[in-house]
Amino acid sequence: MGLARAGFFLSLLALWQLLSLRGLPAYVLSPLEIARDFGEALGSAELYEHAAASLGRSLPGFAIGSFFGALLGLAAGMARWFDRLFSPAVFITYPVPKIVMLPIFMLWFGIGDLSKVLIIALACFYPVFINAYYGVKATPAILVWSALNMGAGHGTIFRRVVLPSAAPMIFAGMRVSLALSFIVMFAAEMINARSGLGHLIRVAENSLRFDLMYVSLLAVAVLGYAGDRLVRFAQRRLLAWQEQPA
Amino acid sequence: MAMVLVIWEAAARSGLWSRLLFPSLGSVAYEFGRFVTNPESLHEAWVSLYRALGGFALAAIVGIFVGMLMGRSKLVAGLLDPLFSGTYAVPKLALFPIFIFVFGIGSLSKVALVFLECLYPIVIMSYHGARSVNRLLLWSAQNMGATRLETLCRVVIPATAPFVFAGFRVAVPVAMIVVVITEMVSSADGLGYLVVYSLSSLRTDRMLAVVVAIALLGYLLDKAVVLARDRLIYWEKLDTYYV
Repeated sequence: MGLARAGFFLSLLALWQLLSLRGLPAYVLSPLEIARDFGEALGSAELYEHAAASLGRSLPGFAIGSFFGALLGLAAGMARWFDRLFSPAVFITYPVPKIVMLPIFMLWFGIGDLSKVLIIALACFYPVFINAYYGVKATPAILVWSALNMGAGHGTIFRRVVLPSAAPMIFAGMRVSLALSFIVMFAAEMINARSGLGHLIRVAENSLRFDLMYVSLLAVAVLGYAGDRLVRFAQRRLLAWQEQPA
Repeated sequence: MAMVLVIWEAAARSGLWSRLLFPSLGSVAYEFGRFVTNPESLHEAWVSLYRALGGFALAAIVGIFVGMLMGRSKLVAGLLDPLFSGTYAVPKLALFPIFIFVFGIGSLSKVALVFLECLYPIVIMSYHGARSVNRLLLWSAQNMGATRLETLCRVVIPATAPFVFAGFRVAVPVAMIVVVITEMVSSADGLGYLVVYSLSSLRTDRMLAVVVAIALLGYLLDKAVVLARDRLIYWEKLDTYYV
């Protein structure tokens, strides 16, 4: 299977390369050219600066959004009055594309990084909140009753029963919102920024630097992939008791 | 909810901030009223809607087919699964500048990007659904002499359908997000363009009215998916909001 898989991907790349020999339009580079350009860009400081600027926006946004999402989601899952007060607002606004708030955030929080970090945090809040909420709701009642029966207090039940049972769902939400943080970061930078990978791809597009376009595309792909791996790795380490889905 | 609106109105009336930052609810409502009665802006909404729905429909057709093929064939799953799970976390939006060159700056590049972003949740969910068909049901069908086609139509597709709708549920907001972003980045029509345009003309109230319209559209599309699901998959109740 592994061999067939590797052969499949290699033949796709080879087909692409062969097509480029026959002459592709200027905006489609061949795999070898992309690899060469990316190698060159890795040697220069420019790519690192833009990548660092991008990460400086997406990671704080992701952290803030996930933190409040988990916190409020757990609270809404456990406290009924908070659920009634807060959850309807979240569920109604859930299908709304959060990026439309970017212009108004720019008015409120300035045109700099703060508005971008906050819009990323807003987008990341939703998946984590909803997953934490349902994670708590899905806690088997019998476990809570057993713990109560054995004389556990509310704090102990939260730490030893509710949190471990909701944690896998929270991680699933964090995986979604990490991917989302990169999308929103990229969008915000394409719309308005002076640094970052989204800005780089706009510059490349406007100056018809196709090599630079593919470099920033590949860079953001690598970052997204690495981030996803990192979340999954953290989940495996922290939730060792949980059976991993394939 | 009402509390938030009251605080907003108080902040708008207090005069601490400029009306450009906090337009009062009344002026937003007025602009929204103008928005829904103006055929031109309704046309912009229609442009956004058909881009979102076009990409979504294409993704649904291709995604269900590919996902179910992956679920029922080990070979296809082995070849395509690493492709989908490996590029899942990659923001496909980064392809947009290239799509502009390939498909042009009009609707086609936007529809193509919506298609690509919607494809992932639909493929992944139909793959899971088709893979987790109850084996007992398959065996019973074979035992009773069902042909492959009959098995597919009577067992596999009904068993996969709830998963497909769960994928739709994820994909519809994604379609709206992608349409609005791409229109904000580069476009001369659509709701995303209206947002940017009214902001550049410093009409915050008008911009917020468009934001409300986008929110309403996203909400209604989601409701439509839930409604269709409840009608089509009447044998299984949707007990959680978020599948």
